Amino acid sequence: MEVPITEVFREHYWNVPLHLLLYAVTVIVAVVFLVMLWKRFQLWRLGGADRRIDKIGARIWTVIVQGFFHARQLRDIFPGGMHFMILWGFIGLFVLGALVDFIQILTVPFVKGIPYLSLSFIVDLLGIIGLIGVLIAAFRRYVLRPDRLDNKPEDGIILALLFVILVTGYLIEGLRLVAEPPHYTDYEIGGILASYLFAGMSQQTALAAHHILWWFHGLLAILSVLYFIPSKLFHIAAGAVNQFCRDLGPKGALKPVDLEDEDIEVFGVEKIEDFTWKNLFDTEACVRCGRCQDNCPAYLSKKPLTPKQLIQDLKTHLNERGPILLAAKAKGGSADGEAQQEAAVTSEADQAILDKALVGEVIEDEIIWACTTCRACMEQCPMFIEHIPKIVEMRRNLVLGESRFPSEAQLAFKNMENNGNPWGVGWASRADWAEEPEVPIISDVDGEVDVLFWPGCSGAFDDHGKKISLAMVKLMRAAGVNFAILGVEEKCCGDSARRLGNEYLYQMLVQENVENLKQYKFKRIVTTCPHCFNTLKHEYPQFGGDFTVVHHTEFLNELIERGSLKPQMAVGGLTCTYHDSCYLGRYNDIYEAPREIIEATGYNLVEMNRSFGKGFCCGAGGGRMWLEEDLGVRINTMRTEQALEKNVEVIATGCPFCSVMLSDGLKEKGIEEGVQVLDVAEILQQAIS
Amino acid sequence: MATAVLVYAEQNEGQLRKVSVELLTQGRLMADKMGGDLAAILVGSGVGSLAADFGQYGVDKVFVADDAGLADYTTDAYTQVVSGIVKEQDPQLVLFGNTALTKDLAPRVAQRLNAGLAMDCTGIEVGDTIVLERPIYAGKAITKVEVSGKPVMATMRPNVLGIAEVAAKSAEVVNVPVQLDAASLKQIVKEIVRKAAGKIELTEANIIVSGGRGMKGPENFGILEELASVLGAAVGATRAAVDSGWVSHDYQVGQTGKTVAPTLYIACGVSGAIQHLAGMSSSKFIVAVNKDPEANIFNFADYGIVGDLFKVVPVLTEEFKKMLA
Repeated sequence: MEVPITEVFREHYWNVPLHLLLYAVTVIVAVVFLVMLWKRFQLWRLGGADRRIDKIGARIWTVIVQGFFHARQLRDIFPGGMHFMILWGFIGLFVLGALVDFIQILTVPFVKGIPYLSLSFIVDLLGIIGLIGVLIAAFRRYVLRPDRLDNKPEDGIILALLFVILVTGYLIEGLRLVAEPPHYTDYEIGGILASYLFAGMSQQTALAAHHILWWFHGLLAILSVLYFIPSKLFHIAAGAVNQFCRDLGPKGALKPVDLEDEDIEVFGVEKIEDFTWKNLFDTEACVRCGRCQDNCPAYLSKKPLTPKQLIQDLKTHLNERGPILLAAKAKGGSADGEAQQEAAVTSEADQAILDKALVGEVIEDEIIWACTTCRACMEQCPMFIEHIPKIVEMRRNLVLGESRFPSEAQLAFKNMENNGNPWGVGWASRADWAEEPEVPIISDVDGEVDVLFWPGCSGAFDDHGKKISLAMVKLMRAAGVNFAILGVEEKCCGDSARRLGNEYLYQMLVQENVENLKQYKFKRIVTTCPHCFNTLKHEYPQFGGDFTVVHHTEFLNELIERGSLKPQMAVGGLTCTYHDSCYLGRYNDIYEAPREIIEATGYNLVEMNRSFGKGFCCGAGGGRMWLEEDLGVRINTMRTEQALEKNVEVIATGCPFCSVMLSDGLKEKGIEEGVQVLDVAEILQQAIS
Repeated sequence: MATAVLVYAEQNEGQLRKVSVELLTQGRLMADKMGGDLAAILVGSGVGSLAADFGQYGVDKVFVADDAGLADYTTDAYTQVVSGIVKEQDPQLVLFGNTALTKDLAPRVAQRLNAGLAMDCTGIEVGDTIVLERPIYAGKAITKVEVSGKPVMATMRPNVLGIAEVAAKSAEVVNVPVQLDAASLKQIVKEIVRKAAGKIELTEANIIVSGGRGMKGPENFGILEELASVLGAAVGATRAAVDSGWVSHDYQVGQTGKTVAPTLYIACGVSGAIQHLAGMSSSKFIVAVNKDPEANIFNFADYGIVGDLFKVVPVLTEEFKKMLA
């Protein structure tokens, strides 16, 4: 009998008379799953508040672009593509296939005819793609063994689960086709392939095999839901939630500490429950993919920090400490009362866990201090996990609560406090560099200036920094810019202090700077330092300092575009590479302006292997400029080598810290001639005169 | 006569520290002004023989606490002993040298006696009241402080008071019985790991000879060592030299190394990067030797020699040898 194509559909639960049992199992699994989820939920709630549900549109968009379409993951095309295949296989079979089947039996079959055949085809195709993805994943994990992956039993179990569920699905399809060839089967491509395996099988055997395999497949799929929460499978949900709850604020802004709040007993994070719920939830979303580690300058230079392990260690600690705190909460209504905690302790092991220090024992001090806050980890993380804020919070506790930090930082702190610069040069000499070129001081200027030039501490005191400042003065004069400086009233912007965890010192410096800046009239601040730029632009508004802030590379490029500066292509033939400053690039997405300036001066611009969003830190960020680097290899040497690989005459930077680090790198390599480190402003200035 | 001034005489391996000699001789002058005795406290193991020489510094009485348990410094034991003697003597003024040891000890003693303490003082005036001078804001300003209550306690920065000429006396040696309550001692010194034994401590040195990248290699630091030994100076280095592995980090002067303020700082082959200047720019006199006349160090040096340090330094060594012979 010929069935019209518009009526064609597959009989649900064909050959499975007791299929309703599966629904019973599903209900039980669902209940157990919800109980497990509730327990996890309690753990996250140990953390503090953090509102992450504003701007719904942008949040949903992130989940679509990053979750469903893997924008970040596909930057690494091999592992990203592999995972993309598995994801869509999963969506195809689980969401489109199983779910449609599952719902249709309860209601009228709404998918039939051509939509049914199309769906059937698409589902089968996606499943095959997913299966290929799983095989690639296994090959990559167990044969290629990239450094960034660490293998735990769950990784193998999950791949095996996926493989078995997928393959048995096709085997069932194949057996069905052998037992009872229906119409229009040409679309069930997976089943057709599988049916060749069973060619010549008797109908009876096929029916029996189908029946058994169906139950095996169905139960395995449903029961594996129970493995979600105890394993990284949970990332499917946690990842989407984490993407939804991503930080939508400016990338470069750390959260302020309210130092006036007398109820705060702990500054920063001393214990795991001092983190926000989002910080705790981050640990659920981590699947140990290692993209962070692959790009972490601390890890790559053989320091003890790997962002991946940091998140995993926090997760392990939350899992051991959380339940004890919850038990305490149940006994006394609050998790942090010491009496309740004692009451909740039932064994010596529990007490040992309770006594374990977060920083020092769970996470070693050296790990916390190794971070350059370069943001490479956060920029690559497909789950939008926030590593750096966690590290800074832990530093805050060490500095503000325990006064425990590398001894070199003490001098930098003291100098910033006493003289408003990390080197401790007398504050009164801050404007000495500007005396000879007679740069106007804003307090002497009547009316408004267009540009308040902010050289920062480097631009005022460091030998190379001063040259950059002088180049800027020449350029701005050549372009007829109306500008002035704050002079001795300018103080360290505080970036290093904040990122080293000294929030108190940071806020002190900010308040003084904001007060001074507010006295004067200027249209915008132009600064040569990305650290000053970032904090002035994104963090000063937290303290009432709302100014328009521009980095000098953007500003100079604007002057060229406007025609105010006309560089000559004087250096034809010389090769230059541009080193992306973390705080300019990753933190502020300024990648093109400095490159356009360099190209406008006639240099042959070449890119290092790690550049743009994957640019490699110079080693000075996060206050590391003021610390000794005595573990592993020196980051600045590594970066210098990466530049030298490209046979360049000039290494260009847009950051005075990077300039110092790369110049030191050259010196350390014994290269005194032939290669120069120049700021973009110096390069442009040479092309103007 | 009652004890007016009590000086903690710090010894290191049986050698009296220079700062202690400064304090003893200056303490003599202060005690005279106050019309009282000058006493000293000497703590250690087998240090009794040192006490005999104290008369030459004008000391009236030396309280010697000599015990095997005091061989190495521990906060608990020393605090017990020193605060016991101070309490019994009830002086008007207690002086310590501002050293690593007393930075730990003096606050403890002050706390036990409920006395006021001024740390790291650079000046002291004894008149109707005792006025102490302390630098603040990295030496940009000086505060004058008075300490209320009795005794007044202060730690004095080495090399600021200088050794005074005093008439020798015969010092009475009082052996203080030491009964350390073992149960209250929380620390035990198991081992002392020494680095660069026999060298002059950089932060205490009156003269420092330091080398930068211009030294070209570790083997060349010998010429600096020679110059240093002639001058009785310590050897320092820049971060660049340390990073290159030529000398150990103990030598590093600068932002992330040691902060020094000697009377004379001789910088050889040092470019004058700001991170180095941060550690030495408060030296009294800076002499720079560098072949590059544009080197930043010359902007900070009191005397500059433009020339090859490998020629200049041996000449300096020779000339100093002749001068000091």
